[in-house]
Amino acid sequence: MGSNTSDAHPIIANRMKKAAKKGLKIFVIDPRKIDMTKVAEKHLPLKVGSDIALMNGMMNIIIQEGWYNKEFVERSTLNFEELKIHVQQYTPELVESITGLKYEDIYEVSKAYSQAEKGMIAYTLGITEHHCGVNNVFDVANLALLTGHIGREGTGIMPLRGQNNVQGAGDMGCLPNMLPGAVPLLDEQSKEKFEKAWGVTLNPHVGSTLTSMLDKMKDGQVKGLYIVGENPILADVNQSHTRAALENLDFLVVQDIFLTETAELADVVLPARGWGEVEGTYTNTERRIQRVRKAVTAVGDSWDDWYIFTQLANKMGYSMNYDTSEDIWNEVRELCSHLYGGMSYERLDREYGLQYPCPTEDHPGTKVIHTEFYESHDKVSPFTSVSYTPPVELPDEEYPFTLTTGRRYEPYNTHTQTKYYPETLKRKQTEETVDMHPENAEVLEVSNGDWVTVRSRRGEVKVKVKVTDQVQPDLVFMSFHWSEVPTNALTIDEFDPISGTAEYKACAVQIKKL
Amino acid sequence: MVNKKEVKTTCAYCGTGCGLVLEIENDRIIRSRGDKEAPVNKGQACIKGVFGYHFVHSKDRLTSPLIRENGKLVPATWEKTLNFVASKFAAIKNSYGGDALSIFACARATNETNYITQKFARSVLGTNNIDGCNRT
Repeated sequence: MGSNTSDAHPIIANRMKKAAKKGLKIFVIDPRKIDMTKVAEKHLPLKVGSDIALMNGMMNIIIQEGWYNKEFVERSTLNFEELKIHVQQYTPELVESITGLKYEDIYEVSKAYSQAEKGMIAYTLGITEHHCGVNNVFDVANLALLTGHIGREGTGIMPLRGQNNVQGAGDMGCLPNMLPGAVPLLDEQSKEKFEKAWGVTLNPHVGSTLTSMLDKMKDGQVKGLYIVGENPILADVNQSHTRAALENLDFLVVQDIFLTETAELADVVLPARGWGEVEGTYTNTERRIQRVRKAVTAVGDSWDDWYIFTQLANKMGYSMNYDTSEDIWNEVRELCSHLYGGMSYERLDREYGLQYPCPTEDHPGTKVIHTEFYESHDKVSPFTSVSYTPPVELPDEEYPFTLTTGRRYEPYNTHTQTKYYPETLKRKQTEETVDMHPENAEVLEVSNGDWVTVRSRRGEVKVKVKVTDQVQPDLVFMSFHWSEVPTNALTIDEFDPISGTAEYKACAVQIKKL
Repeated sequence: MVNKKEVKTTCAYCGTGCGLVLEIENDRIIRSRGDKEAPVNKGQACIKGVFGYHFVHSKDRLTSPLIRENGKLVPATWEKTLNFVASKFAAIKNSYGGDALSIFACARATNETNYITQKFARSVLGTNNIDGCNRT
C-alpha cells in the first residue's frame, strides 16, 4: 500500500515476487500502475489520498461479514464498538465515490486479507506523506488489530524505510521528543538517567520538528542551524519557503560530502567522511543492526561526522572524547541496554547482524515484535477511529491536475551520489519527466519528450513529457531527483499536525505546452 | 604492485540494508557486489548497490572546511573554522537561549554519528530542536 517497492526497495520487491511465485497473494493498492502490479493478484488504483475511505470501507465489510478475528478483538483490543459504529458510515456507495474503486474489488481484498492465515501490510511514503499521514497509519494499525494480523511471524505492519538508517537515526534520539533508545524526553526517569550519564541538565521542552523549525527560521525565532548530510533545498516541499527560511538565518553550518544546493547557502561548510570511509552501524527497516566498514582512505582533510561534533563540543566547553566509533556504540549499549546491550561489534562481526531488542550477550535478537498479543495475552491496544479528509489542495479549473511525487529506480533522493554512475551504465531514465496519461497528452497535444511548463500556486518548472498509462487520467507524477527540475518548487507546505510530514503526494498543478 | 583487498559492508541507500562486498585496488573501490552471506539480500544487489559507489572517488568531494568571506566560500583550517563556529553558536545561545539553535540530523549517517549529533544538540547547544528527514 503506497509503496513502489520494485523502484524504491528492489531487493525487498524481489523477495515478494519470489514468494508470489510460491503462492503469496499480493494486492497492490496504489494510484499508479507500478511494476509490482505485474505480480499482483489485483491492483486497486485508488484516487490519491483516499486511503482512509478505502480502509474504513474494508473494515466495515470485514465487520459486517463477520470476518474479523473475534477472539483477538475481545482479548487484545479496546474501543471496538466505537470503531464498528464509525466505519458504518463508509458505505459501499460512499467508498466507491471517494476512492474511484469498484466495490467488488474492495470486497475481494477485504476478504482475502481478513481470511488469510497470515496477512501483512507493507507501506511506504504513499501512506505517510499526506496531511493525514498519522491517521493513515492509525487505520493501517486498525486493520491489523481487527484481523489479528500482528505479533506472529508472517503477519504485521511493515513500514519500508526509505533511507539506510532512518530507523537508527530516530532510535539514537535524533528526534525532538525522544532520547536514545526510543524513550520519551518527557519520561522523568529516562531523562534523569541521561542527565547523569552526560553530566548536564537537559532542556525539558520538546523541540520542534524539521518542518516547523523552517517556519521558526522564517519568523526569526530560530537563528542558527547546523545541517548534517541533508539537502532540504531540493528535498523539502515548497522550495521558495525553504529557501526563505534558510536565508533568514543568522548562521548556517552545513556538514556534507559535496557542495550541495543547500551547502551553497551556508556560512560554513564542513567536509565529512562518507560511506566507504567510516566505521559504524546502520539499523535497517526490520530493526537489524549491521556493521558498515571503512574500505578506503578518506578524501582530503575530511573528518568523521562524529569526530567533528566532539571537537566542536570541546571548543564550546563540553568534554567529548572517543577514540573510535566502537567506543560510542559501547556508550549507546550501556545507556540503552534494553535494546542493544547484547550487540557488541565483535558479535555483530561474527553474526552479521542482530535485530533489536537484544539486551544481553546470550540473547539471540528479536525477529518478531508484539508477540505478547499471542503469547502472554497481556498486551492490549486500542482502535483509533479516523475519518477521511481530502487532500488539502484539490484540482480546480485553473489547476486541473493532481501532482503526486515519488522516487524512480536509478537515482537516489537529490541525486548527489547517484549522479556519479558511470556514463556507460544503461539506465531507464536519465532526466526528469512529468508522467501523464495518454488521454491528457492528447488534449494537451503533447507526446514523449515535448517540453511543458508545470505550474502550481507556489512555483513552476519546465520538464519533458512522458506519456504512460501508469498514471490515471488527470493525475501526473514527478520525482525530485534532478536539480535541473526542482519538483519541490511545486509541492505544497501543508503538514500532518502530529508528525509534521508534508503532503508530497498531492497538490494541484496546471500544465502548458511550450 | 597492485594492492588488493575485499571489505564487507552494508549498503547506504535504502532501508533494506543489503550486505555488500567491496573490491578494493590501490585504495579505490573498483567493484561492488551483493554478499552471498548477507541474511537480507543473499547475494542480490540492485543498481544502487552495485554501481552507486562511484561518488566516493569523485573529484567534486569536499576536501577542506570552507568559510564564507566577502560572499564567497573559501578554504580554511579546521582550527580556524571550528573556533568560528563555536563562537557563533555560543553567541546565539547566550543571547537567545538554546532553542534559537537547531540541528537537522542525517538519516544516511551511522548510528554512532546520530547518537553524537543528538548528544551535541542536547548537552552542548542545550536544545531538543533536533530532527531529520524521518518526515520526508
